Amino acid sequence: MNNNAFLHFLTLLLFKQKGKHIGAVLISVIIIFLLSSVLFISSSLQSTLLGTLESQSDFTVSRVQAGKAINTPSDWLDKVLEINGVSQVSPRVYGRYFFAPREESFLVVGVDLFDEQSSKEFQSLIKGLDLKSFLSTDSMLVGEGVKAFLSEHYYKEHFSFKTPEGSFKKVKIHQTLPLQANLIANDMIIMPIELAREIFGLGEDEITDITFNVPNDAEWDNIIGKLHLLFYDVRVVEKREIRKAYENLYNYKGGLFLILYLVAMVTFMLILYQRYSMVYSTERKEIGILRAVGWSIKDILKLKFYETTVVVLISFVLGVILAYLYVFIWDAPLLSQIFLGGANLPNHVEFVPVLEFGLLGSIFLFYAIPFFAAVLIPAWKIAVTPPKEAML
Amino acid sequence: MIKEFSILVSIVLLLTGFVFVHYLAHNGISSQKMLSSVANITEISSPSLSVAYYEPRVLFYEEVLNPAYPQMQAMNKMDLVYEQ
Repeated sequence: MNNNAFLHFLTLLLFKQKGKHIGAVLISVIIIFLLSSVLFISSSLQSTLLGTLESQSDFTVSRVQAGKAINTPSDWLDKVLEINGVSQVSPRVYGRYFFAPREESFLVVGVDLFDEQSSKEFQSLIKGLDLKSFLSTDSMLVGEGVKAFLSEHYYKEHFSFKTPEGSFKKVKIHQTLPLQANLIANDMIIMPIELAREIFGLGEDEITDITFNVPNDAEWDNIIGKLHLLFYDVRVVEKREIRKAYENLYNYKGGLFLILYLVAMVTFMLILYQRYSMVYSTERKEIGILRAVGWSIKDILKLKFYETTVVVLISFVLGVILAYLYVFIWDAPLLSQIFLGGANLPNHVEFVPVLEFGLLGSIFLFYAIPFFAAVLIPAWKIAVTPPKEAML
Repeated sequence: MIKEFSILVSIVLLLTGFVFVHYLAHNGISSQKMLSSVANITEISSPSLSVAYYEPRVLFYEEVLNPAYPQMQAMNKMDLVYEQ
């Protein structure tokens, strides 16, 4: 058959019978859109967090008592530093500060601003920050979420922290952290380490935990052994473990969404199969007429195959495009809350576009193959019957 | 090929082109740089999850509690998002 005539007939048939296809296209677009949105969000978060993890230290050491992390003595810093192969040992002071009236919490992080590296990073993060004026009074930098929450509660310029001793510590809101850092800093408050100690009631010789690097990867297991020999009440967290968790971030092999997707997909295929295999008189008649005018079974299957290809491709592309727009342009309202939560301060994150073409290809195959089967098998069953019987 | 079909294909191609242009033109480096700076300063790279008071905010360093059933392991966002 002439290709142009075939194409004309195919497109004509598609538009003449649009009522038949529109339902399948709509359901397909919704399913592809939901699945792609979830996968876009998870890939974007995974890629961004893995990039951020590079900046974190290789090990974190904290003291434990009865299985719970407690404050770590600061003299552990010197002991850790004495281990061969260890570098960049630094203390961390951080914790959650609860805003009791509303049960909201902030993550307060103390930073040693007299450390050359930290102060350089600090100034590159906040352009035009005057470190002298920041350090001259009790000041803090707050994340976007914290700033919005404090403004709502009329803390426009200062906030008073309640210390464990029962006194109040008034701290100036110096500046807001950049919006692009919201993924990790939305509920964060950064302040000098001494101020954070005072707010949490930590002693001069106490810190939350210790971080350090071991540049030689081959030494990592050896260092863990040495730490366990040095301290008996210690918990060591490696960057490897955190990386593994991030790599498995919403693993599509074990995710709840995949199960939901499979259920939805199977239901959709059942509906589709039932719809196309039902003895539609028009469908049977159409195939019967085509057979009667001389079309072979191969021609009919070719027509149905191309018809389905157009429907599948258009649904898939539309679903993926809508998901892209929803996640990377409108920042996935509602769905992002499933990943980022909504129990504390609202977080508005700008997702960095990440497209995993392998994953999109897999979705396409999982979607297209059952779709083709659901359409072509019933069409073939009708095509092999004699035209006279098919038209009855 | 009929006219309506050509219009539909053109719209789909146009949308695909827009997505590719946006993807290639988007500057993700500045966002990554900001996040890395914050992680460098604070040594904390955990995502800022909007969690309830009994759920861990900093991954791996905080305990999980269920206020109603302290013995029961609590289901939290980490369980959903991170494979254990």
